[in-house]
Amino acid sequence: MERSFEKEVRSLRLGAGDTFHGEGILAITKALLQSGVSYVGGYQGAPVSHVMDVLTDAQDLLDDMGIHFEACSNEAAAAAMCAASINYPMRGAVCWKSVVGTNVASDALSNLASAGVMGGTLLLVGEDYGEGASVIQERSHAFAMKSSIVLLDPRPHLPLVVDMVEKAFELSEASNTPVMMEFRIRACHVHGRFECKDNVPAKVSRNAVLTDPSFDYSRICLPPATYAQEKHKIDYRLPAAIDFIRDKKLNEVFAGECEDVGIIVQGGLYNSVIRGLQQLGLADAFGEARLPIMALNVTYPLVSDEISSFCAGKRAVLVVEEGNPDYLEQAINVILRKADLNTRVVGKDVLPMAGEYTLAVVIEGLKKFIEGSLPQGLDHADVLRRGDAVAANRTRAVELLGAPTPVRPPGFCTGCPERPVFTAIKLVEKEVGDIHVSADIGCHTFSTLPPFNIGNSVLGYGLGLASAAGVAPAFGDKRVVSIMGDGGLWHNGLTSGVAGAVFNQSDSVLVIMNNGYSSATGQQHIPSTGTNFRSEPTGQNIRDALKGLGVKWQRTVTTYEVGNMMKTLREALSTKTKGLKVIIAESECQLAKQRRIRPLLRKQLERGERLIRTRFGVDDDVCTGDHSCIRLSGCPSLTIKPNPDPLRKDPVAHVNNGCVGCGLCGETADAATLCPSFYRADIVQNPSSLDRLLYRVRRAVIGFLQGRPAAAA
Amino acid sequence: MTILENEPRPVTILIGALGGEGGGLLTNWLVAAAAAADLPVQSTSIPGVAQRTGATTYYLEVFPTETAELNGKTPVMSLYPGPGNMDVVVASELLEAGRAIENGFVSPDRTTLIASSHRIYAIAEKSAMGDGVHDSGRVLAAAREMAQTALLHDLAKIAQDKGTALNAVLLGMIAGSGKLPVPDSAFEDAIQAQGVAVDANLRGFEAGLALARGKLEPAPEAAAPPLPEQRIEADFPAPVAEFAAHGVSRLADYQDIRYARLFLERLGGILAVDRAQKDWLLTREVARFLALWMSYEDVIRVADLKTRADRYDRVRGEVGAKADEPVRVTEFLKPGVEEVASLLPPGLGAALSGWAERRGLTQKLHVARRVRTDTIHGFLQLWLLAKLRFWRRRTYRFDVEQAMIEKWLRALITIAPKDYAFAVELAECANLLKGYGETHARGHGNFERVFDMIVTPALEGGKTDTARLRAAREAALADPEGAALGQALTG
Repeated sequence: MERSFEKEVRSLRLGAGDTFHGEGILAITKALLQSGVSYVGGYQGAPVSHVMDVLTDAQDLLDDMGIHFEACSNEAAAAAMCAASINYPMRGAVCWKSVVGTNVASDALSNLASAGVMGGTLLLVGEDYGEGASVIQERSHAFAMKSSIVLLDPRPHLPLVVDMVEKAFELSEASNTPVMMEFRIRACHVHGRFECKDNVPAKVSRNAVLTDPSFDYSRICLPPATYAQEKHKIDYRLPAAIDFIRDKKLNEVFAGECEDVGIIVQGGLYNSVIRGLQQLGLADAFGEARLPIMALNVTYPLVSDEISSFCAGKRAVLVVEEGNPDYLEQAINVILRKADLNTRVVGKDVLPMAGEYTLAVVIEGLKKFIEGSLPQGLDHADVLRRGDAVAANRTRAVELLGAPTPVRPPGFCTGCPERPVFTAIKLVEKEVGDIHVSADIGCHTFSTLPPFNIGNSVLGYGLGLASAAGVAPAFGDKRVVSIMGDGGLWHNGLTSGVAGAVFNQSDSVLVIMNNGYSSATGQQHIPSTGTNFRSEPTGQNIRDALKGLGVKWQRTVTTYEVGNMMKTLREALSTKTKGLKVIIAESECQLAKQRRIRPLLRKQLERGERLIRTRFGVDDDVCTGDHSCIRLSGCPSLTIKPNPDPLRKDPVAHVNNGCVGCGLCGETADAATLCPSFYRADIVQNPSSLDRLLYRVRRAVIGFLQGRPAAAA
Repeated sequence: MTILENEPRPVTILIGALGGEGGGLLTNWLVAAAAAADLPVQSTSIPGVAQRTGATTYYLEVFPTETAELNGKTPVMSLYPGPGNMDVVVASELLEAGRAIENGFVSPDRTTLIASSHRIYAIAEKSAMGDGVHDSGRVLAAAREMAQTALLHDLAKIAQDKGTALNAVLLGMIAGSGKLPVPDSAFEDAIQAQGVAVDANLRGFEAGLALARGKLEPAPEAAAPPLPEQRIEADFPAPVAEFAAHGVSRLADYQDIRYARLFLERLGGILAVDRAQKDWLLTREVARFLALWMSYEDVIRVADLKTRADRYDRVRGEVGAKADEPVRVTEFLKPGVEEVASLLPPGLGAALSGWAERRGLTQKLHVARRVRTDTIHGFLQLWLLAKLRFWRRRTYRFDVEQAMIEKWLRALITIAPKDYAFAVELAECANLLKGYGETHARGHGNFERVFDMIVTPALEGGKTDTARLRAAREAALADPEGAALGQALTG
């Protein structure tokens, strides 16, 4: 894994009287232990990867408590795991990255929600939305609505968040309904503290096993039970949930003196509203605001009487709701209409329908709301002046800078084994013309960005090959190429892609990036890693899996061998053999490799062992500054520097100290007939006496040769 | 309720960095130091996909009143930085400072901007075919104007000199900025407690602290290298002399004194038609590009540069080899038909080159050679190749290049009196000729296309369309596939 969580694991053992200091996502993990969970599962992905990572490192603690932890093969598997809570009083939690993970999980989720749960069931979703997100921009909200799942969006204040996790299990049990809790990126990574409670052992666990299976026909998702389940949701479960939300006061109302208006905000955005009001001179540092605020820590279902009693007597309320569609705004309008209240609902008319609600956005929205609703007793001019000053400062900055700041898209790490594959594809394209490439999700999706710009579509995790099914025949004899990572392959690509392509006799090329881990999410183990997260051998590998599915044309190529990769690609694109052709591009994730070998190398060096360190360089007097090497690589350590030649204007290529000596620069220089500026340097550390002797002899002879012409001149 | 301006409010700190630069550790240090001082503190970040080399930010708020004195009240901390509301903005690199300024996070009434002035280039800057580097000057000027206090130094260099990490220096500067009511010792304790490279990071912290408090003189900028001494100043006006001198020493080094004299002679021809407009711009630019063109990169030149005495030491320095560590150097050479043809006499060379071109073999027939220039055997191969310098004047390539140079110079001399701006632009077109192998072939092709379609008609009495020539030159450098150039020439 990318990080070790030893320190964090210790904080999971804290008990009553201790204070937890740490990341939000870990506070939630601790709250699960305080709630008496029997099982935890999930699929890794930002921003909730750390739940999986920290539990992986917390095996001892989990074993002590008898809790089962499962690194699921995908989100559907994780959601299906919750079936344990249908028949038994088992509390459990699963987590994933949303909205994409919820999409994958949704089949199991619908069935789970229809059957209803006996044990408290918590679905932790990391809402990957806005700056820092890596997936399509949608809301998870709709899933909760369509499946009658309760949706929590707590105020990002750790003591409250931890309390809400505990309440979520009670709520789930009181209403037989699974509860989904969403956390935005910044809330997952927030660092704060809360007072701990003791961890609670589960009612059912490895330490307290079940003896008798329970059979209850009404819990089976098959008609006619499904009709009864739908009715049960409406007649019993949702009303029970609403009662619980109201009685336990899960939503919060903060009083304010301007009672003719108010703000209704998703709990997760509460802090931004407070800070926005503070910047407009309408709140203090402790959240005392001049406008009344209702923070919805539960965003589905809404409690109608709470909404209408908050709005009663107000001329206007501002709904601060991130993303689209504006489900809350619509629901609040309906509630007020039915209650015959004339409060004007302001929302997406002063705030944007799409995009993240950063502070700049919130401040602008609040300003417009004040401007439009003119709350009594406020100095409106002062509010506007403050709001305008924020905007003016930015305008001035943009003016002074003159040109937009160049973007810095994410890219392949230094020495990444996936980069050379795209170098090879780009070079093959120079020979055969552009190729349609069905890209996939993973680090390799960076190929779609500069400098490669390779990849014509991205359809979802593991769907690279499946997304070529329709387009491949349309290119006739010119084969299309699909990309899939090993992570995507095991997530679903093996069936949705490979099995499907063989079954349908697709005549296309698939490149599988086998770097050993689910790398983009933090190098978690996957079936083909060879070992699971507990480092137990698994005996699974890609070649055998493909063979079992009937893939006959298979080649394995080391990714750094650009020439070999080009040859194999050419062959796959032109061979007369019909059917799916799979190239397994193999080399370990460089991040994982460096983390593995660096400490070892350091120790070997300290012991005085002879070691060769390799890195690349560029002769700046040979480089002419056309940067074609960079356009075929994009490696962070292959950069530029000012040209030392006073006559040349263009910067020269330069390899900085980050170089890990992966070899791509040399391979590219060869394969692309690029330029002789590159050199590889092998530094002999702790040289033997033979090394030293050889070195001295060589230097003496070479020095003699170099010296003579100088003397003659 | 009244809200007072001077009520305590959180001290806000925004850190802009690149994935993998240690922004997370810096944030942890700050959180630990503030917590040790019993101040309420909150941090957040958006690592996600930006962890992979992209730009990312970390955001902290520290409440300046000790928790014990708050009587159970809890400040509400924001997860987002507010434009116009930042006390400290930290950038590990200059472009990231620019980004923070652009987003309105730096304001004259309260922001201390702490930024390293060194550059890590964005992919668009690096992959440009010419010079695509963003203008640092404007960012620095905006930084000075927009910040209440701007602390701008090359912190990468300071960190390297002190053998420490940049984030530790930044921590020291944040501590030294005086914006946080946290004693120095709390930061030092935080470094100790995190346990990552403690000694080096403490050194960095001290350096940053001293820098922010004005007690550390930043390293002076390197002085410009002295000009080569030549007796050229008498023959050429001052603005031209510098380039002419560089050209002479370059060509004497490339071939011999006779070749350098040819350069001066050729330059004299241009000087004769230059009427000192724009400070001798035409002659200056021709001096630059003529010297570069005449010292075109052939295998002899590459072999020569790679076997020089100072080169091995430069390589050792660049790769950070210690004094007792032998370094093996491997060169990646891939000579092909063109390289062989370029060494043959004109007749033979032209025949071989033409044959390969007709059969489409020019880009195909190559032999990948890896040569170890640290070994006697490998060194000798390149050393002997470099000795072919005496033969250069008799080669096919020399013939071809000189003919093209003469054609270019004649065009310049003809056009300069008619349209000075067009001539300057034509001089600049020589920048299209660079690189090796395929890149070089493409550059030559582009130059010829531009020359035939825009310059030749002008020579034949047509219109001298400077704007079109500039557009074509820029288009040729816009994309490697030549799509933009095609458009510029037909459009």
